[in-house]
Amino acid sequence: MAHAHAVKRYRGLMDWLTTVDHKKIGILYLIGGGFFFLVGGIEAILIRIQLAKPELSFLPAHTFNELITMHGTTMIFFAAMPLIFAFMNAVVPLQIGARDVAFPFVNALSYWLFLFGGIVLNISWFFSAVPAAGWTGYVPLSGPEYGTFGVNFYVMGLQVAGIGTLIGGINFLVTIINMRAPGMSFMRMPLFSWTAFLTSALILFAFPAITVGLVLLMFDRLFGANFFNIDLGGNVVLWQHLFWIFGHPEVYILILPAFGIISEVISTFSSKRLFGYSSMVFATVLIGFLGFMVWAHHMFTVGMGAVANALFAVATMLIAIPTGIKIFNWIFTMWGGHIRFTTASLFAMGFIPTFVMGGVTGVMLGAAPADYQFHDSYFVVAHFHYVIVGGLVLGLFAGAFYWWPKMFGRILNERMGIWTFVLFFTGFHLTFFIQHILGLQGMPRRVFTYMGGQGWDTSNLVSTIGAILMGLGTILFLVNAIITASKPKNAPADPWDGRTLEWAISSPPPEYNFKQLPLVRGLDALFVEKSEGHKAMTPAEPVGPIHMPSPSLIPIVFSVGLLIASLGFMYANQPFSNEFIASLFKNHVIAIAGLALTFGCMVVRSIKDDHGYHIEVEELEKEGVHQ
Amino acid sequence: MMSDQGTGQAMDVVKRSKAHEGPRNHIIAYALSIVLTALAFLVIYYQHVLESWFVYGFLIILAVVQAVVQGVFWMHLKDRGHLQQRIFMIGGCIIAFTALIMALYWVWW
Amino acid sequence: MSDAHVQGNTLPRELEKATLEGRNKILGFWLFLGAETVLFGSLFATFLALRDSVMDGPAESELFKLSMVAVATFILLTSSLTSVMAIQAMHRHNLKSLMQWLIVTVVLGFAFLGLEIYEFKEYVHEGHGFTTSAFSSAFYTLVGFHGAHVVFGVVWISIIIGQLRTRGLNVVTAPKVYVAGLYWHFVDLVWVFIFTVVYLMGKVG
Repeated sequence: MAHAHAVKRYRGLMDWLTTVDHKKIGILYLIGGGFFFLVGGIEAILIRIQLAKPELSFLPAHTFNELITMHGTTMIFFAAMPLIFAFMNAVVPLQIGARDVAFPFVNALSYWLFLFGGIVLNISWFFSAVPAAGWTGYVPLSGPEYGTFGVNFYVMGLQVAGIGTLIGGINFLVTIINMRAPGMSFMRMPLFSWTAFLTSALILFAFPAITVGLVLLMFDRLFGANFFNIDLGGNVVLWQHLFWIFGHPEVYILILPAFGIISEVISTFSSKRLFGYSSMVFATVLIGFLGFMVWAHHMFTVGMGAVANALFAVATMLIAIPTGIKIFNWIFTMWGGHIRFTTASLFAMGFIPTFVMGGVTGVMLGAAPADYQFHDSYFVVAHFHYVIVGGLVLGLFAGAFYWWPKMFGRILNERMGIWTFVLFFTGFHLTFFIQHILGLQGMPRRVFTYMGGQGWDTSNLVSTIGAILMGLGTILFLVNAIITASKPKNAPADPWDGRTLEWAISSPPPEYNFKQLPLVRGLDALFVEKSEGHKAMTPAEPVGPIHMPSPSLIPIVFSVGLLIASLGFMYANQPFSNEFIASLFKNHVIAIAGLALTFGCMVVRSIKDDHGYHIEVEELEKEGVHQ
Repeated sequence: MMSDQGTGQAMDVVKRSKAHEGPRNHIIAYALSIVLTALAFLVIYYQHVLESWFVYGFLIILAVVQAVVQGVFWMHLKDRGHLQQRIFMIGGCIIAFTALIMALYWVWW
Repeated sequence: MSDAHVQGNTLPRELEKATLEGRNKILGFWLFLGAETVLFGSLFATFLALRDSVMDGPAESELFKLSMVAVATFILLTSSLTSVMAIQAMHRHNLKSLMQWLIVTVVLGFAFLGLEIYEFKEYVHEGHGFTTSAFSSAFYTLVGFHGAHVVFGVVWISIIIGQLRTRGLNVVTAPKVYVAGLYWHFVDLVWVFIFTVVYLMGKVG
């Protein structure tokens, strides 16, 4: 092996802590997101137990408020989004015929920032200072006067994780724009990569709004600013606007990748190309764009007036049109196809009617006058769980079963998978369908208990039973994953007879993905080759040495710096029994030390150029370089 | 991984765009920016003889024009190979604009 | 690192675009600027929403010192020009000239900061502090964020000048210079809107 410079390669734990390989980072996101999904799930079960019967005192009220806050925040930011990034990382570079993302180092940084953001939020449990102002953190409940100390963990945790998400979005945008294989024009790109592209664009434009919102809240809480202080001219509605200008695109960030997964899975398991590819792309673009124009439908009852409400109501309903196009296209894809029922396709087929149900209640909520009745009731809770759990989570399960062989070289057990689907799908509808009725019957949301005899008792009990079933389904999935891990790593490159490039290379792929970048000759690039009788892709270049980026410890150190800074700012004015420690915090020494560590990492990264290392042709011919 | 890929950005080794020859266009952009800035300060200086709607409107136009001048000339937005840059910059401006509308109309009533 | 395409004996004019990595960095940074546009847009929105909440502080029309703002504007604008001159020098592969223009840019940046710090101290003295009112919090956050971007910029460009000294101009350092130049232009662009919306419009009345 001839190398121009020393190759720094790590093994074992250090390999995982320093990796910049998108495939490994995808697995890290899967584990991290999966872990927080379990945390959020436990929080949900606790909530449902408390609500199973009227006037239960299983949990005190303030703990309940903490649980609903943490459940929402954890699930959206630390479960759903990381799992989305898991699949984007694992699949997009392979689907577009690239060897990695545009910025592998930044990719690792995104991951560690997410993880440490999640740590900042969740160590609140250990400090007995859990945020309790809802995942939406409205002022003044979250402000300096009424907000508990826990809100600081919310602010800092989201801010740290948000930076990671933003740079991750930039990474995938550049990757998809600049690094598609020769012959892959935008309109020959698979749908999942398209939705990854548009999701990243949404991330790019949505996250700065919440960054500003969190900064304003932090300044109010920690530095005496007055953005939301009514006595000194502040305005609480401003927070709502900034939050939802982020918050609405955020839910499209959550669902667009699921749309992409469904397109891939439905097409593959119908053995038929996706119906209406161009209209699918166009519809997704439209959904993304309109998603920025509807945020105030979360604020219909705040008092902006009829004109504003009407504008936002109409815009909200418009989004149903491109979404409807997508639903019909999926159905038409299946129509006349040779349908295979695997766990992945079951989840995808379950997604379609479930998401439609969630979507139509969304249109109901979008009718501003009607929303005055629905607002803050369980009808809203039912709606968003239908679209997020019945939409995104079903999509994630489909993606997991579909791409598990590509990521891990092993196929998940199908029988267990089908039971997972049955348990989760049944449990889901049991839990949330009945909540529509509860909402219409007047049960408000975010209440820690309710009086009996209002006709809500049985429905709540049913809802709780459904939650238990979902929990069982999730546990079964975990068992499946663990059992599968002990099986030999012998999945074929193309277990599902796929149509896209990721199935053209081994499962899992070699470190460098493609020995030779493939030549793309049409949409569904692999299928094009298959229909001409080829066993593999036509290469677009000769075999040559491949340049790889070096691993680095800096991303994790960078994130530790921000963790320290977060705690430093939070605890600056808190009492400590030890004089010395108190002075360290009070003079912002800890906070500045944390920031210095982070900025120091930036300086080191700028000065120390990463020349990477080469994998030489002899190694490539041996096909010996595997993860 | 660093092997150049054909699709995406053409590798224009020989670029003879006339705007790049010499600093002339950039100095013009600078001069324009100075003039636009001076005009803005002048408008404030003479605001007592002007309608307030004119003052506000003209100031906005001056700022936007200067931003476009600097973006197009100094940041090469008009050059070929900058389509994505234009798309995303304009996208950012659109979202920023909706935030401004929010602030002006839907915060106080 | 793939080497720059060599046509005969000459390097390409635009070294920063000669490698995929360089082109990726430039595009990535443009996208980041798109996000920053929304960031500053939200800060401007916050300022606009709260500019009338002066409470007990001094009114905008009395407070702002336009002469200082005019000088600061001129300094920052000129520094943006000098950064353009730097890139022009880079395209002529003139390392010495490139570094000189960058140094001037940094010096002007420091001058701007000095003026702004002095200006803020004056305001605080006149009763316009960070915690005085919603307006004052919004003012210092918006203008302060811009100032923080200037600080980051002068440190960043200084580090790049150091790298140019030790490693010279090549396909690795060129994209760094170009990206820093884009950043600096953007910072000046934001200032155009700050002096217009905050200071000049604050004087309308």
